[in-house]
Amino acid sequence: MTSWGKSTSPGAGEPDPSTSPGTGEVASLSGPERALSRGARNHRRTHRLLAGAAAVLAIAALAAGDRTAPAVSATGGARVDIAALARTVEAEEDHVTALELAAWIRERKPGLRVVDVRGAEDFAEFHLPNAENLTLAEVARAPFNPDETVVLYSEGGTHAAQGWFFLRARGIGHVYFLRGGLYEWMTEVVNPTLSADATPAQRAEFARTAELSRYFGGVPRIGGSAPTRVDDPAAELPGRSSEDGGGTTAAVRRVRQRGC
Amino acid sequence: MSAAEATALAVPAVRPAVRAEALPYASPYLAGVGLGLVLLAAFALVGRGLGASGAFSSVAAAGVSAVAPAHAAANPATAEYLGAGGPLRDWLVIEIAGVVLGGFASAWLAGRLGSAVERGPRVGAGARLAYAGGGGLVMGIGARLARGCTSGQALTGGALLSVGSWIFIATAFAAAYAAAPLFRREWT
Amino acid sequence: MIFPLIETETTAGGGAGLGVALVLGVAFGFALERAGLGSARKLVGQFYGRDLTVLKVMFSAIVTAALGLFWLSRLGLLDASRVYVPPTYLLPQAVGGAVFGIGLVAAGLCPGTSCVAAATGRRDGLAVVGGMLLGVLLFAEAFPLFAGFYDSTPRGTLTFPTLLHVSPAVATAALVAMALAAFAGAERLERHVNRGGGS
Repeated sequence: MTSWGKSTSPGAGEPDPSTSPGTGEVASLSGPERALSRGARNHRRTHRLLAGAAAVLAIAALAAGDRTAPAVSATGGARVDIAALARTVEAEEDHVTALELAAWIRERKPGLRVVDVRGAEDFAEFHLPNAENLTLAEVARAPFNPDETVVLYSEGGTHAAQGWFFLRARGIGHVYFLRGGLYEWMTEVVNPTLSADATPAQRAEFARTAELSRYFGGVPRIGGSAPTRVDDPAAELPGRSSEDGGGTTAAVRRVRQRGC
Repeated sequence: MSAAEATALAVPAVRPAVRAEALPYASPYLAGVGLGLVLLAAFALVGRGLGASGAFSSVAAAGVSAVAPAHAAANPATAEYLGAGGPLRDWLVIEIAGVVLGGFASAWLAGRLGSAVERGPRVGAGARLAYAGGGGLVMGIGARLARGCTSGQALTGGALLSVGSWIFIATAFAAAYAAAPLFRREWT
Repeated sequence: MIFPLIETETTAGGGAGLGVALVLGVAFGFALERAGLGSARKLVGQFYGRDLTVLKVMFSAIVTAALGLFWLSRLGLLDASRVYVPPTYLLPQAVGGAVFGIGLVAAGLCPGTSCVAAATGRRDGLAVVGGMLLGVLLFAEAFPLFAGFYDSTPRGTLTFPTLLHVSPAVATAALVAMALAAFAGAERLERHVNRGGGS
């Protein structure tokens, strides 16, 4: 048995014939070593084959692109588990609130993708930080990685909810939408309002909300009556009716006037 | 008698156990592809990759729990490795048991079994064992901090393109190269 | 998609999952020993510039598994979102990696290969195993000292495609390109060193 203390096995600090097959050394090798060197040349051919196979598979991967729609057929149909989706909606796991989204953006949640499904002009006028602009048709086709968290938003939330359905139908799990749309963002994040008759618990909550709001260049407000429910986009935004027609455009104008 | 003769007597039916000359090692690329296929099989069969240091943590945790169960349960770093059914129901512990068997089988077939203390020519067995134990201790700490080792983070996380795993690969290799001069006399 | 067949988190170590663990472990250990990584002297050759087996084995394995993962997923056979990806903790993994690397070159074996070495009779492998058990134990007992650091800079599941906003296809192809370049460099370096041109 070879002495392992001063190992003479292959590769132990000496040239390893099986991994360094310099063909120029053949003449200086003994019989058994020459046999090993021939083996090494065979090895080289195998290695070249493996490297070639890897390169081919990698290039083919680039050509093939990613799998886009596991549940969508060539004609665009989809198999959908409606019962499961209904359960998700009832459990309120389909949407996020504006404050939740704001917190995710601020803490730089890894893999977060905020998608604005409005038109390009609206997007150019104002959009959430780091948001991407995709139409609903593009959302239906776009590739999303399994470890990404997608949040869709629109002006009032309806289109975003439709986009949510498309992505869920495609089998993409981590997708949410901003239920109240940009309306909710404006009232909850940019201009959160604490009503005059708030409870201490609400005041404590508001302190946190106010801090988050300021991060986004918002202006928390105190006073006025209790704010209207924001999941009713038809409702007038509190404190706005006296100023102008309300709505996102006006809110955007006010935000931009502050220069954020 | 020599170790070779002793082994040959002890396992008479096992001819390949000891050879006059050990087989040369396989091509590292081929072995690597084989290893990659094993890793892929893990992903496909059980939705997870391979690992090693976690098995050590499980065994250590089980040991602590056997001696001081309340203390073990109270320490989150230990408690996270206390699985129901003990270490023998832990995926990584069973996998490492397999590694031991597989390593033995390969060495047996190639005639590479043998009691020895691998070391360079300038260092004695005792010193080598001390370095090995100390190095193991340091690796244990590093692996716990990094949530894995070369098997769990470098191989598995690397193949999954996880950013933290590649950070681990980079710093581990860099530190090993940087520290290599300190241990040169252990090896050369 | 039929793969993964079992998800270990849901079966909590059920028999089938453990059976798979054993078989995969045997193959794992076999492959490591075949490559010679059960030998500390061969392994440290990586860090003394003579024998880059560690790099070749590791990157070949990573490339094989990554290409396999991409293609199984692309062909609709594997649901990649159900494969567990270890979460990223930037600082602890960077520091842990460095600490690990120092231990690695001192021990000459990593946790997995130390088991292979011990299995084949190498007493230094056994010493590494013992040291590791002690090391993880010490860490656990001293945990309150670095609990804060341990949990710092979490990024959850974070892969390169997500970080760099590229598709998995591009990231995988880039990985393959990098590995092939590394292999070419390694072969050249080994030839240079072993012809006596190096230290």
